[in-house]
Amino acid sequence: MEPGGLKNVDTVEIPAVPVFSWSVGNFMEKFFDGLKDGKLMGIKCPKCGRVYLPPRMICERCFTENEEWVELPLEGTVESFTIAHVKVGDDGELEDLETPETIGMVKHKGADTCIVARIEGLDPADAGVGMRVTVVIDKSAENILDVLSHYVPC
Amino acid sequence: MQDVAVIGVGLSKHVSKRRDVNIAELVYEAVSAAYDDAGVSPRDMDAVITGNMPAFEGVNMPELWGAGHWGAYGKPLLRITTGGTTGGSVVHGAFYAVASGMFDTVIAISFEKQSDGDTTMGLNSVGIADFAAILHFGTDPEFLVSAGGGAIGIVAYQATSYMKSSGCTTHHYDKVAAMCRSNAARNPYAHLKQPDITPEDVAKTDMMEYPLRFGHCCPATDGACAMIITSADKAKKMTGRPAYIKSCASCSDEAAIIGIFGGGPAHLDPCSQEGCKKAAEKAYKLAGIKEPRKEIDVAEPYAPFANQLLMFYERLFLCDEGEAPAVLDSGSMEIDGELPVCPSGGVISTNAIGASAMERIAECALQIMGKAGEHQVNKDVHNAVAHGWGGALNLNVVAVLGDTPRR
Amino acid sequence: MEKQVAIVGYAQTGYGSYVDASREILVLEAAAGALRSAGISREVLDTVVTATNDYMDGRTISNMRLVEPSGAWFKDESKVEMDGAYAVLYAMMRILSGDHDVAMVIGASQASVYPTYIPGVMMLDPTFDRERWLLNEVSAGALQARAYMDAYGATEEQIAGISVKNLRNAAGNPLAVRRMPVLTVDDVMDSRMLYSPIRELNAFPPSDGACSVILASSEKAEQITDNPVWIHGVGFSHDSYLTERPLDKLGSLKQAADRAYAAAGISDAKDQVDVAEVHENFSHEELMAYEALGFCGEGRGSALLESGATKMNGELPVNPSGGALAANAACAAGLARIAEAALQVRGEAGSHQVKGVKTALAHGQTGLCAQENIVFILGGE
Repeated sequence: MEPGGLKNVDTVEIPAVPVFSWSVGNFMEKFFDGLKDGKLMGIKCPKCGRVYLPPRMICERCFTENEEWVELPLEGTVESFTIAHVKVGDDGELEDLETPETIGMVKHKGADTCIVARIEGLDPADAGVGMRVTVVIDKSAENILDVLSHYVPC
Repeated sequence: MQDVAVIGVGLSKHVSKRRDVNIAELVYEAVSAAYDDAGVSPRDMDAVITGNMPAFEGVNMPELWGAGHWGAYGKPLLRITTGGTTGGSVVHGAFYAVASGMFDTVIAISFEKQSDGDTTMGLNSVGIADFAAILHFGTDPEFLVSAGGGAIGIVAYQATSYMKSSGCTTHHYDKVAAMCRSNAARNPYAHLKQPDITPEDVAKTDMMEYPLRFGHCCPATDGACAMIITSADKAKKMTGRPAYIKSCASCSDEAAIIGIFGGGPAHLDPCSQEGCKKAAEKAYKLAGIKEPRKEIDVAEPYAPFANQLLMFYERLFLCDEGEAPAVLDSGSMEIDGELPVCPSGGVISTNAIGASAMERIAECALQIMGKAGEHQVNKDVHNAVAHGWGGALNLNVVAVLGDTPRR
Repeated sequence: MEKQVAIVGYAQTGYGSYVDASREILVLEAAAGALRSAGISREVLDTVVTATNDYMDGRTISNMRLVEPSGAWFKDESKVEMDGAYAVLYAMMRILSGDHDVAMVIGASQASVYPTYIPGVMMLDPTFDRERWLLNEVSAGALQARAYMDAYGATEEQIAGISVKNLRNAAGNPLAVRRMPVLTVDDVMDSRMLYSPIRELNAFPPSDGACSVILASSEKAEQITDNPVWIHGVGFSHDSYLTERPLDKLGSLKQAADRAYAAAGISDAKDQVDVAEVHENFSHEELMAYEALGFCGEGRGSALLESGATKMNGELPVNPSGGALAANAACAAGLARIAEAALQVRGEAGSHQVKGVKTALAHGQTGLCAQENIVFILGGE
């Protein structure tokens, strides 16, 4: 069944793009400041001890304000990964990548949450869950979100 | 079915820019204040009902990353969004969640962090499909600009239409604005506080689009509101004076075609607002209110623009059509008047859009519970009516609260 | 929950890419179809609950233009911005409150008019993940698939088996997009690789379409139809953001199922449920759902699939319609599971009808990696 049976006479593109500027808040600000000093700063729940990396103001399990900052090791373990053969293009559709890349979900020792970033310096076929990786921090990155650049195998 | 009551209200600080917190953290301020006010914690919540206007901040379903900050971990969660009426629709959702007997105690949360987003684009996107289509089919862009964009473009037509039908003057709009802003000065959670403002001061502000001046218009606010809503049985045990939600009703009219004089087939007169009347009729009927003018003690109509306070006062049946300007002149709407209107300062003083319609209900609850502090009205509040408005002029939500349950 | 709210009508548009249609036409078609199916007029409706998403609609307040086509004009209308299965929940609450008797529920979206994968990117944490452009619905699903495979030893071929089962089933569903009667595991493994281990035929096909369901209170339901489909139980839950929870299991689906089973008096799901319609955006999610729904033990999803129990002629057929892998209009996909489950209970599913269905389960999800889940238990007289 072809819905409607009516035909649109034309297609209209919306000619405007909105601009957003999200506040990251004081906790993420401190995380980014730490990265610029080459440090990975997580935060610990005073009640249950859960460590959030990136940091969160509230422990969702205890509904307690997190307060104790902890510096976490730069090495972590791959909890999961995917080999990307595509990416989301400017038009919002999946477009093929020339070279596949590895995206990993990494848990640092002492943290209870994960960071998602590229894993570079390896053949994607060699990627595996449980692999040890080290974070690469690029202090010269122009965009603050790129300072935590990627991971490499230990 | 069980009766429903409000036992706690929480508000964040409301200002134009909160760059020190992200969306989830801003909302936490309201949520934790609501838990504290009711003397409960997330452990006592059976469900979470939330909503905002996502296009404003550019985050799709922000509770997906933020709700951990609100005590939603592992809870049933329902997201309700309906535009300007969102906050009211969220409370309606919480009302039905409890009234249905499905849950006993829920938290209702609504918010907007407009400084993170592109509010003008957000508002224009209400009509952008129309604008794009109109331009595409050859209409002169200058005509479109003169027809006005964003919310003020539509409301200007509403304001002039109302002047014609009621005989009111721009001086009445100046008075409404001055009344609301000075009420806001008593409310620690209001955004624009102007304790000593006079109608003459408002009349000196810049003209935006005739007849609306800068002083007649709401600000764009970062803010959040949360309410703890529970069954009447539980409420009686948990607090001395709960505010009962006696009824909720909404009514959706045809959508206006924004940009073409704010008129669509149902809006030959953009200030008719039949939907508001139908929603109010139903809400009063369910609540057992027969004579709203006598039985309602406080009203919180949703009025981001000064003219709308008068228009909606009438559409909520608080006086005859065309008489609101005279009621205003009588002083009855003042905070110490016979039927105070917007003692909170109203939307014209504080507009975190997704939260605004909830804040109308929250103010009614505070007035009934006697917890409104410096903006507590100078009379016993037995019944109050809260309203929300939005969409393409076509969505209205109404709630009636009282100091006794429906049954 | 004994016979308080019933489904008395439903309709779905065909799913596909209808660039010549509009969202309003899709919604009108579904709404009018549901009224015809229930044999009632628009005047009988007390309330309308729609499920749409502002980013998928391309404009703020996606419900404001649906007042007319959804039948909501001068009615008490609201919008749930989640999957349409949650709109059924909200309509049900409205009816149970006693203030409404008959409710129209509609979920709709049109993938052909919005940038398909952007609304998913916009669900990410805007303070970090969002602008790093690595995560989206499919790459997040891939991380979930890999975590599940690593935890329980499921293989890509076993996961492909879900696509084969569902897309073959879809051959019997005239509304589906992917109708593939002779599909094989090799065909799935040969399809375009997106994010390993997810290939094109492991992932949902973004579709245009609308689905509607009409609910009624027990009294009204008995007046409207001789064949009401009762909602015996519902449960729903919200899980943590995807980087803050174990991805190898569907925690909030288990919570949702436990709540629905408790309400419906179900102690052994595999024994008591006759057919299940599961909202699987990716094929591995159906295996994970078997476990979360208690159809098998933890980590035993592949074994259950390979036993044949969830095939059309098995003891607990899952997704006879083809599921969300066969057609997936966001906001309508979970709602369509409810409509399909109701079809099965009424024996109206035609060439994908399962024999002797008394109790059916329907599942819907919202968010990345099935973050939020809802489960309904439906049954006939």
